[in-house]
Amino acid sequence: MIFRQFLSLRKAGALGMNRRNRQYIMGYNRRSSFPLVDDKLLTKQLALKHGIPTPTLYHVVSHHGDIAGFERTLADRQEFVLKPARGGGGSGIILITDRRDGKYVTQSGKMISKDDIRYHISDILSGIYSLEGLEDKAVIEGLIHPDQVFGKVTYEGVPDVRIIVYRGIPAMAMVRLPTRQSDGKANLHRGAVGVGVDIGKGKTMDGVRRSGAITHHPDTGESLRDIEIPFWKKMLLIAAQSTDMTGLGYLGVDLVIDKNVGPLLLELNARPGLQIQVANRKGLVERLEMIDRAPKEIFFSPEKRVVWSIQNFAEPNS
Amino acid sequence: MKRPGLWLAAVLFFVSFSLIGYRVLRLGYPLLPTSRAKVWGLTMEIFFEPTGRNGKEMEIRAGLPESRSGQTVIEQRDLSGTLQFNIMPEGLSQIGVWSGDPEEERVLSYRATVLLNPKRLRKPKPPGPESFPAIIADKSEQILARRLIERYASLKAPEKLKAIAATAKGIWRNPPPDENDLKQWTAIQKKYGAEKALVILLRLADFPVRKVQGFVLVESVVTQPDRWIAVWTGEKWEHIQPETGDLYSESVCLLPLMIGETPLVNISGGKLREVRWILSKQTLSQWRTHFERIERSTRFLDRWSLFAIPKEFQEIFRILLLVPIGVLMISVLRNIVGFPTFGIFMPVLMALAFRSTGLSYGLGIFAGVVLIGYLLRRGIDRLRLLLVPRLSFLITFVILAFTVFALIGSKFGVREFMAVGLLPFVILSMTIERFFILIEESGALQALRTAAGSAAVAAITYKIIQIDPLQLTFFVYPELLLAIMGLLLLLGNYSGYRLSEILRFKILGEKS
Repeated sequence: MIFRQFLSLRKAGALGMNRRNRQYIMGYNRRSSFPLVDDKLLTKQLALKHGIPTPTLYHVVSHHGDIAGFERTLADRQEFVLKPARGGGGSGIILITDRRDGKYVTQSGKMISKDDIRYHISDILSGIYSLEGLEDKAVIEGLIHPDQVFGKVTYEGVPDVRIIVYRGIPAMAMVRLPTRQSDGKANLHRGAVGVGVDIGKGKTMDGVRRSGAITHHPDTGESLRDIEIPFWKKMLLIAAQSTDMTGLGYLGVDLVIDKNVGPLLLELNARPGLQIQVANRKGLVERLEMIDRAPKEIFFSPEKRVVWSIQNFAEPNS
Repeated sequence: MKRPGLWLAAVLFFVSFSLIGYRVLRLGYPLLPTSRAKVWGLTMEIFFEPTGRNGKEMEIRAGLPESRSGQTVIEQRDLSGTLQFNIMPEGLSQIGVWSGDPEEERVLSYRATVLLNPKRLRKPKPPGPESFPAIIADKSEQILARRLIERYASLKAPEKLKAIAATAKGIWRNPPPDENDLKQWTAIQKKYGAEKALVILLRLADFPVRKVQGFVLVESVVTQPDRWIAVWTGEKWEHIQPETGDLYSESVCLLPLMIGETPLVNISGGKLREVRWILSKQTLSQWRTHFERIERSTRFLDRWSLFAIPKEFQEIFRILLLVPIGVLMISVLRNIVGFPTFGIFMPVLMALAFRSTGLSYGLGIFAGVVLIGYLLRRGIDRLRLLLVPRLSFLITFVILAFTVFALIGSKFGVREFMAVGLLPFVILSMTIERFFILIEESGALQALRTAAGSAAVAAITYKIIQIDPLQLTFFVYPELLLAIMGLLLLLGNYSGYRLSEILRFKILGEKS
């Protein structure tokens, strides 16, 4: 019975956690490169060097003594994002959209006092949100104004695009849409919606929420299908370049589309989740094995890799 | 070699199983941990009243069981408080001596565990000079006795012994002795008592004889020791019940405590009020009793056994050896089944803690502490404490909660509430913190699911490390750790699906 189930997963080419860890993460991601993606500040610097756009950096708090300093730097900024440099899974991130009566207003409309912000920064510095519980830095950067392309299928927050890149070739992609339940965050484990993307056309397909299939956004009721993602080729190129930039062979690339500046690299993930397969209704194994058989010469340039990916991974009938 | 891990695992299995094979085949270790051995517990309680004036020492001497052919003392413990306790040989017996100036004490107790192993008889030692006591009867009585047993002179030793022993009941084999002699002998039996009269006959027939005090092993509480006569027939010792003259058959288990005439318990500087022996049958696994053989062995692997280390450390290793079983369970449950848990090894520590609290109480306390801790954590969230002091605050709180539990437990007599000591409180505090953060970030459902996962893993692990034979097997064969390492290597090589992924990727499976 169980064996049959395993067989059907295998036939579907589903990539399991154990195999992802052993074959792809341990096989292609060198431990020494992990800090480049685990620390968002390092990722930012690296992206800057390679000419990849990221959200503007306003300020970094690295010591408890500097907490007061951040208010001076932000003196007249109405909106910003506060996040831990080494946080994972979207934890510890606060989006501030306005200031009122000496208090901060979060994106969901909650009022936060200055003391609360200081407390939160102090938590970040203590490492409470960091992956290994190490001491951390608090990063303050520009707020993203998401392009309205996903406006109808987003409940507050910032939708983002996740692309799995294997050996520099975009293998699978999805759009992650915040919901009321996910509290404006684009993380699937919090209840955000994942929508598969046709890599060839840059168009959305069907969605998933928790492990159930859906076709419409649970809060707005709008259809998830056939939304054309702007800047698609540029985003694929940024994703492909991320591998050259970090040396990581199996990578999750998170991008957002700002209505003013276009696609921005938000963060990289050396241990990207497997839920993207459910969003795409497709196992990763087949594509990863196709990439292993791809002609050698395309691996030398990110542009060629993107072209190969579009040719090979386009959905046949949509 | 494409997968060196698998080869290494094979080597580990090979080494592990060949060491076990060697122990079983060459050193005769038991393979099945379930076979039970005959083990008796002897508890001796002596109630006394010191009569000595201040400063005068009191001394109590009592015969104790000792390891000898067919029996082994596995464990003995003195449970009296302030008295000094020594064990010394005296004659053929092992004597326990308690001495001191008891101010408050009026009772001392001693406990021994004795393994009877009739199969492992050593060649019996022939008697020494102590077995030829002087004959107490006077000349004329001796002449009479000699005449009475003369008729048995032609019998072989074992037969002769039976014939003489039967006279205790007044049974004389043919030809029957003179009426007059019999009358006189009956008078002598009355004069000295059956036991001594029998000894006179046996001694005159040149049998080495020992008087023995001890117990015929029957589950009981007794205040008087049994007495019997041990007689050497030239090949072995026979044991005779003096009143009836019956020989104890081989199937009767005797536990001698004192050889000779000395009273089994005597006291100086005090008065004995009562002595009580409690005999109880215990079932110990064969493994444990194996300790006896191993301890005496000179074989390399026997000396390099965990039985060879001092008792107080053995206990620690028993627990320590459970940890690898626990982590193996965790590896299976997480990588093959896919349970979500708080922290990786937290459930192992929980499982170890459950050993002292029991499963239901353990889980109850776990749930209680996490719940109360969560409420407290919510409460102090407003205080904006820095991380480290906040966690320390939680740890202190958890210990306080344990203390309160223990007090409640002692009030209502619930031992399990007091046994929380081993619960890993640091880990528990971290669990509270993670539980809080998980609720804040991923919602109560996810947090409860993870908590239930942790509890389930802890419970399963506990059930497995509680299997007694398994525990002892690891203690006897510590080389099984190599096999565990091998299994872990295999698990580490597993890149198949997890059971939980059947649900997770259901949509993918359905499509094909």
